Amino acid sequence: MKRKLLSVLLAGAMVLSLAACGNSGTSDGGSDGGSSEGGGSEGGNKLTVWAWDQTFNIKAMNMAAEQYKKDHSDFDLEVIETSSDDCQTKLTTCANSGDYSTMPDIVLMQDNSYQKFLKSYPDAFTDLTDCGVNWDDFAALKQSYSMADDKHYGIPYDNGVCAAFYRTDVLDEAGYKIEDLTDITWSKFTEIAVDVHKKTGKYLLTSESTGGDVIMLMIQSCGANFVNENGEAYIVGNDVAEKCIDLYTEMIKQDAVKLVNNWDEYVATVTNGEAAGVINGNWMNATITGIEDQKGNWQITTLPKVDGVDTATNYANNGGSSWYITSNCKNPDLAKDFLVNTFGSSTDFYDAILPETSGIACYLPAGESEVYNEPVEFYGGQPIYSTLVEYSSHIPEFTKTPYHYEAREAVNTAIVNITNGTAKEDALKEAQETLEFKMSE
Amino acid sequence: MNSNKKGMTLVAKQKAAGWAFLTPATLMIVVMSFYPMVRAFLISLQTGAGANMRYAEPIFSNYQRMMADKVFIKSIGNTFLYLLIQVPIMLILAILLAQLLNNKDLKFKGLFRTCVFLPCATSLVSYALIFRSLFAQEGLINSILVKLHILESGYNFLGNAASAKVVIIIALVWRWTGYNMVFYLSGLQNIEYSVYEAAKIDGANGWKTFWGITVPLLKPTIIMTFIMSINGTLQLFDESVNLTKGGPANATITMSHYVYNTCFINVPNFGYASAMAFLIFIMVAILAFINLKVGDTRD
Amino acid sequence: MTKRNTSMIQRRLIPTYIFLIIVSFISVFPLYWMISAATNTSVDVSRGRILPGTHFMENFNNLTSQQPLWRALGNSFLYAIVTTLVCLLICSIAGYGFEVYHDKWKDKLFSVLLLAMMIPQVATMVPLFQMFSKARLLNCTLGFILPMISTPFMIMMFRQNARAFPIDIIEAARIDGLNEVQIFFRMFFPTMKSTYAAAAVITFMNAWNSYLWPKVIMTDNNSMTMPMLIANLITGYVTDYGMLMCGVLFCSIPTMIVFFVLQKQFAEGITGAVK
Repeated sequence: MKRKLLSVLLAGAMVLSLAACGNSGTSDGGSDGGSSEGGGSEGGNKLTVWAWDQTFNIKAMNMAAEQYKKDHSDFDLEVIETSSDDCQTKLTTCANSGDYSTMPDIVLMQDNSYQKFLKSYPDAFTDLTDCGVNWDDFAALKQSYSMADDKHYGIPYDNGVCAAFYRTDVLDEAGYKIEDLTDITWSKFTEIAVDVHKKTGKYLLTSESTGGDVIMLMIQSCGANFVNENGEAYIVGNDVAEKCIDLYTEMIKQDAVKLVNNWDEYVATVTNGEAAGVINGNWMNATITGIEDQKGNWQITTLPKVDGVDTATNYANNGGSSWYITSNCKNPDLAKDFLVNTFGSSTDFYDAILPETSGIACYLPAGESEVYNEPVEFYGGQPIYSTLVEYSSHIPEFTKTPYHYEAREAVNTAIVNITNGTAKEDALKEAQETLEFKMSE
Repeated sequence: MNSNKKGMTLVAKQKAAGWAFLTPATLMIVVMSFYPMVRAFLISLQTGAGANMRYAEPIFSNYQRMMADKVFIKSIGNTFLYLLIQVPIMLILAILLAQLLNNKDLKFKGLFRTCVFLPCATSLVSYALIFRSLFAQEGLINSILVKLHILESGYNFLGNAASAKVVIIIALVWRWTGYNMVFYLSGLQNIEYSVYEAAKIDGANGWKTFWGITVPLLKPTIIMTFIMSINGTLQLFDESVNLTKGGPANATITMSHYVYNTCFINVPNFGYASAMAFLIFIMVAILAFINLKVGDTRD
Repeated sequence: MTKRNTSMIQRRLIPTYIFLIIVSFISVFPLYWMISAATNTSVDVSRGRILPGTHFMENFNNLTSQQPLWRALGNSFLYAIVTTLVCLLICSIAGYGFEVYHDKWKDKLFSVLLLAMMIPQVATMVPLFQMFSKARLLNCTLGFILPMISTPFMIMMFRQNARAFPIDIIEAARIDGLNEVQIFFRMFFPTMKSTYAAAAVITFMNAWNSYLWPKVIMTDNNSMTMPMLIANLITGYVTDYGMLMCGVLFCSIPTMIVFFVLQKQFAEGITGAVK
């Protein structure tokens, strides 16, 4: 018995050493003297990419590679599936270790988090300003997510343009039309939402109480943020911010918004029919169209805008992502050429990925194509794709901050405190102090 | 084979064997834990990110920063609350279950053991999903409570500070009781059954044998699980992240969750995060050593 | 023992059975829910359906067409088994060494080693990553297991359990002419089956579920582990809950099996072996 166990142990140790050699052998293979280890490709015509979401980003990237291969037969591309959290963790760890050698050639990053990487690790990314993209083909706001000091670092890809999705059958029941909710203000919206809830028991707006995005959409739709132009925390004394927080807390008090605790609950309100409206990034489209028994009942329109603010608009952006070339890339010219000729300038490419991924282009000329103007059956024949691209051209620019998540958390905490009875001044002061503290070192 | 090779005495040989047994493990721990720990300590004295890391002025400024960090102070309070309430409940329940399952007359022991152990083998993702949906406003727990007329309408368990903490504690007890039970069960197996038989003959009842025999003989295991639970709770992360995201308004955030946010969610500040991690380390160490000193009667 | 006697004992155990059944139900319910969710469509799961459905194959096919399920399972098995075997060997001899040969210095050393358990992983990750990257240990089994094979906790577990190991057995074995290594493998090793079983379950589980470290050092598709695969399923704009639960099921089953297989050993501990 003991001999048997012992031999099992020894065998285990052998397996270990074999496996170790085997694996490191493949990952080291062909490395050109550097410390490259499964990270950026070693020159040649192969690129590695970190991206997430098989049905969306990865699919689009692979299709781009297929298209590029038609003209460049020796081109090769490998996508390493890396969830967006993992992407951030890995990049942070590599960059903080001062060791970029494990990074891929191209990486997909969330627009909301890119600024913090650029601030912390400016030398991790390649300047793309002169790579040959006509930047005016992308909406100004979208460009600004991946810019610093007038330099471009990213090729905009996944569009985060927001829309208001409403269930027309529920609106009908309450005596409203989609036009009644188009180009309105938040206070009008609150009025209608309360009425609809009274009549049908359904909500027109759902929001997460921790880490919710609605408040960010509101302020950004005014071309403002919770930071000023110098990047300093700007909550106390910020009239626009106060207006937004007032409107939002008023909605909570009047039960015009359904507060949920996490994303599952958020999705559940839509799937189980409790939500008759969704105000969020266009990517909610994928969740909504997944509910087949609600087909034909949904339509989209513009967001409500903030009352009494001159710069207020009915357009905002939430989420979205862009492609970046890392400084570990051994063949940046190839990577640039590849991105420019696909994501950066090809209407054909965007026409091809739309039916496959429902991914809306940030590339404005794409919105004019026939594919984008086709009516979508699920939305009762509305041509939502070209509509969304059009919306995206109206979104105002606002000051970006690396401290996006810190600001969001501080403000959401203030909102929870206000609804729990803390005086507004105190709550905002605390949020201001928290954010200032996070920004200090 | 066993004859003295180099003329070592038997005692010297035993001594050498003793040290030789420790060496691989000790070496690994030094290289894989202590060396990185020292490096982490040096990082905790620095500010900035990536290539721009530099030593702070004054050198302990990251440690001073903690005193002014309201969220971190809140997270310390939350974590200790979990520690004080959850650990005793869980450990007592675990001993009780181990004792019940160690009964030789009990049938289906294997089945029960597996069932009780299952929660900690269940993947975190599904466990978080189900707890969130169970305690959601329209969730199963609420609909049962409403049907029993205990509540009038669904209560937002995860949306209120006090109840969200309770949910986290319930979740922790659910997940880790079976895990601790495993240690007690394996510890109980080392107690000879004859000890219990003797107690029975002496007329001791269940409670008496439990407190008089089981607990004292399990003492080394109890100390071990205590230290482990203190460590686990002070480094608590999964539940805070997955069940409540630390909300509402940071009412449930734990220290490790905050440290993680400082590294990977917010603008990365590894210096400050390492400093906080060191404070956690010191807290665990103090508690663990109190535990060892109180519990270790051998020396 | 007479039949009446047995039935009386069983009757006295009724409250115990009831208690255990309740506890078991609470423990197993999420597992049931997971299995049932794996057989439903995403929309049904999100709507809170708890009855089993008929979409398991669909979910499974979606999963295998999107994700390298078998490779991830294989990797996870390889890493977890190797980690468990090596960890058990290293830590048990250390625990045995600390207890059986204990003196003032070894006790002090042990206290120091214990400290290593208490530092949060996020703090040591960056220095460890630097080390492993320099040593070219990324993307390989060795890189995965090295930080996990010597844990103060496992040493402590073996040390605490070794206290129950009667010292007179060792003395007797020495008189019989066994050397120290032989005593460990021939006497301690077989007697401590229940401890080894518990340690194996725990180590396997930790290795199987470890996530933060592997995701930092594994940077190619070939070394993906199950927890990383699960993370990939919940990162998109849309979560397919049915497919996710199907993946989670595959991620949970192995630890359960390991426990189920090894749990018999719990019941065959030191009792009887020391006679």
